Amino acid sequence: MIAKPEWFEQRKYSGWGVTPRSWQGWAYTLAVLVLLVIFLSIPDLDSQVRTAGTVLWVAFVVLDILPVMVAAKKDEREYKNEAIAERNASWFMVMVLVIGILYELIISGLSHELSINWFMVLALFGGAIVKGVSNYRMDQKGC
Amino acid sequence: MKTRIKELRARYNLTQQDLADKVGVSRMTIVFLEKGTYNPSLKLACRTARALNTTIEDLFSCDEDDED
Repeated sequence: MIAKPEWFEQRKYSGWGVTPRSWQGWAYTLAVLVLLVIFLSIPDLDSQVRTAGTVLWVAFVVLDILPVMVAAKKDEREYKNEAIAERNASWFMVMVLVIGILYELIISGLSHELSINWFMVLALFGGAIVKGVSNYRMDQKGC
Repeated sequence: MKTRIKELRARYNLTQQDLADKVGVSRMTIVFLEKGTYNPSLKLACRTARALNTTIEDLFSCDEDDED
């Protein structure tokens, strides 16, 4: 692992992920971008190699940053606030998914070709399962 | 909720960051504790009182009209 947790802090106001908080974090972010740009700027690079290289680079960065996100230290107030913010975000996403699924059903039903976006259905039911399992585990722990 | 955190912190010449490091929380949590806008768990209240060499009862006092 190259990225270190002390170089970054969790995003609070602009989506998910991390943002640099020390010069090392900024140097890491700059290095990631510059190396990608250099790679993509190589002349006469085969498009498949370009795509594969980009995907591998992004995968590497994601895998490097994930432990940083997991290791981010939070105290009880920050955990509580994060839980409330994530709950609010998930309610909004559930609302949009439900509206989206209903919209697709109605529109496809009107054209007599019923179709469902199974990814959206999976997201909704998958989320419900994750919520149920989380609550069950917390009840078991006595939280 | 009223607290004496700021008063006791000054007595021991501790900055908010010093106290935060002793208690194991972020500086912002100490800020909100001092303002009385954050209600700590019993565990955090204990750790804060211990860090300031006092008791929970001495450190925190509840207002009769405290609302959650």
